[in-house]
Amino acid sequence: MIKGSPISLALSRRRMLALTLAGTALPALMPRLAHAAEGTVVVSNWGGDWNDRTVRFVEKPLLEDKGFHVVRDLGMEPERKAKLLSEKRIRRASSDLIHVNSSDAFELKRQGVVADLDLTKIPNYADVVEELKAPYFLPWLYSGVVIIYNRDKVSEPPKSYAELWDPKWAGRIGLTNQLYFNYLMMAGLVAKGDMTSVEDGKPLLEKLVGESKPRLYAAHQQLQAGLANGEVDIAINYKARGLQWAKDGLSLGIQYPEEGAIAVTFGACLTEFGPNRDAAYTYLDAMLDPTAMAGLAEASLYAPANPKAAISDETRALVDFTPDERARMRFLDYGYVAENTASWLEWWNKSFAG
Amino acid sequence: MSTTETFSVSRPPGGAPKGTPRRLGTPMLATPAIIFVAIGLLAPLALMLRNSLNHYDPTELMVSAITPENYLKFFGDSFYQGVLWRTVWISGLSTAICLLAGVPVAYFLARHVGDLAKRMLLILILVPLLIGNAVRTSAWMLILNDKGVLAAFLGLFGHNGPLGLMYSSAGVVIGLISVLLPFMIITLNSVFESIDRNLEDAGESLGASHLTIMRRIVLPLALPGILSGSVLCFILSMNAYATPVLIGGPTFHMMAPTVYQQIAKVMNWPFGAALAFILMAVTLILTVGVSVLVQRRYRKWSE
Repeated sequence: MIKGSPISLALSRRRMLALTLAGTALPALMPRLAHAAEGTVVVSNWGGDWNDRTVRFVEKPLLEDKGFHVVRDLGMEPERKAKLLSEKRIRRASSDLIHVNSSDAFELKRQGVVADLDLTKIPNYADVVEELKAPYFLPWLYSGVVIIYNRDKVSEPPKSYAELWDPKWAGRIGLTNQLYFNYLMMAGLVAKGDMTSVEDGKPLLEKLVGESKPRLYAAHQQLQAGLANGEVDIAINYKARGLQWAKDGLSLGIQYPEEGAIAVTFGACLTEFGPNRDAAYTYLDAMLDPTAMAGLAEASLYAPANPKAAISDETRALVDFTPDERARMRFLDYGYVAENTASWLEWWNKSFAG
Repeated sequence: MSTTETFSVSRPPGGAPKGTPRRLGTPMLATPAIIFVAIGLLAPLALMLRNSLNHYDPTELMVSAITPENYLKFFGDSFYQGVLWRTVWISGLSTAICLLAGVPVAYFLARHVGDLAKRMLLILILVPLLIGNAVRTSAWMLILNDKGVLAAFLGLFGHNGPLGLMYSSAGVVIGLISVLLPFMIITLNSVFESIDRNLEDAGESLGASHLTIMRRIVLPLALPGILSGSVLCFILSMNAYATPVLIGGPTFHMMAPTVYQQIAKVMNWPFGAALAFILMAVTLILTVGVSVLVQRRYRKWSE
């Protein structure tokens, strides 16, 4: 090393490397420009088939082809709900719309992360089935928890939820872990006849678990496999799922229970702090478009919330419920469900725990 | 000589005087990493600890408070203690089996295999880790199923009953071992390689049988490495998520899936955070405790 040498102005390798790294880091330090592109809408949805159908019937023909830019945030609803709730503190929402079921919509409304809908901006909302409406929720597709049975093995299916407790069905019933709250309310319905008697239903459910030993599957797909390979002959699940499995080739029958099917409604909510509200309203209106609803009903086999959907009578008889069935349908008391769902999950884990 | 002259010019005798400019010492080089770990790991952990002291309300979800009720709930409920105990014994069993299976394989790789073959075999051992966790566990689901690949294979030999491996602890242990064994083998392999072969030859020349060599020479020397391999496997299996969920099924509860359920499904963040901290504390206590015990014994051996 030569002492006293002048400071070199030539670019040493070390300096070059340092400047390159600084250069690549610079964009991360620059302020983010607001991408207020005309007609962008960010949608939070389930993935898989559900999203494919949403894109095929709603997002592509009615939004993307008309110049909107749809950004999708896909995942299971626990993660999407958790994301929305954790963003509440910073009063920001990364999505404009969130696809949820009606119970989750109630919870999100109570937490203050979804907004009441301005119905003047959603002309199609006026046609929606009355029982499904809520000020903060756009109902879209609905179904009910029914008794699905293997037609080859079961000639006389149980006609009501109560008949499931009959010893002749022991070992032949299949349940899925994802619908635990429906099964608890079903037991309450059998015990007391209303949708807020889960406490009275718990001993009944324990009896079912102890004596009839129903098989518990982790998810709908496993229950379908169980029906297919004969592990179970009866499944308690949404009518739409049963119809989908039948379409996949299983020989299944659907029995609407006497007490009235427990309803499930899927739809969308407007987030409170989402950035693109106008585009979101266009999206919401597009969801209820009669042609889109018709395509969705035929593809997903869920009943459309807009009775004006342009479906054939055959499809309507298959997927939809008769007015009598719809009148008997049991809708959830959302406040009651939100209040208790945590303790129900714990009880469910403990009563079914190995 | 010229070098010594230069030295004597630039370094006055008696150490560096106060006038010499201080150079950035090596500890300063660790500062970026320390900052990163502090922001990325310690701060979120502190936040979670604070969350675990909050109160859960079904309507408001998390209410700010300082209450020990989440920890008390855990200690008062035998269900969750059962979940923790199941996690601990399954992790212990998996680690023990990995150790028993890993030591011979690692020793064989270190001593009796040529260079090229060793590289190929190591890659073969690592291949299961290249597939994602969930995908690999799904493959195990197909194998362990009552009507799956293993059942078909055993059917060739006349075993036709249900296997009972899916949705049971046996299946979960098998799934965990398939993930942990490569880690154990790789760790032990490098440990065995670092033990001087001459020591074993010396033992052999003094008349020791192979078993005695392993027992008195190799394993005591490899003990720190065995310890670190076991600790690694134990920690990984205590925190296992995909394997218990997919192979264990909905009725098989272990700690990590329970934490996820509490936080994501039920939105009970305080209790989920408390469970996560209890899991972390138990893992830490067990691994540090065993490490200290073993090191104390090791020091006695080497003295």
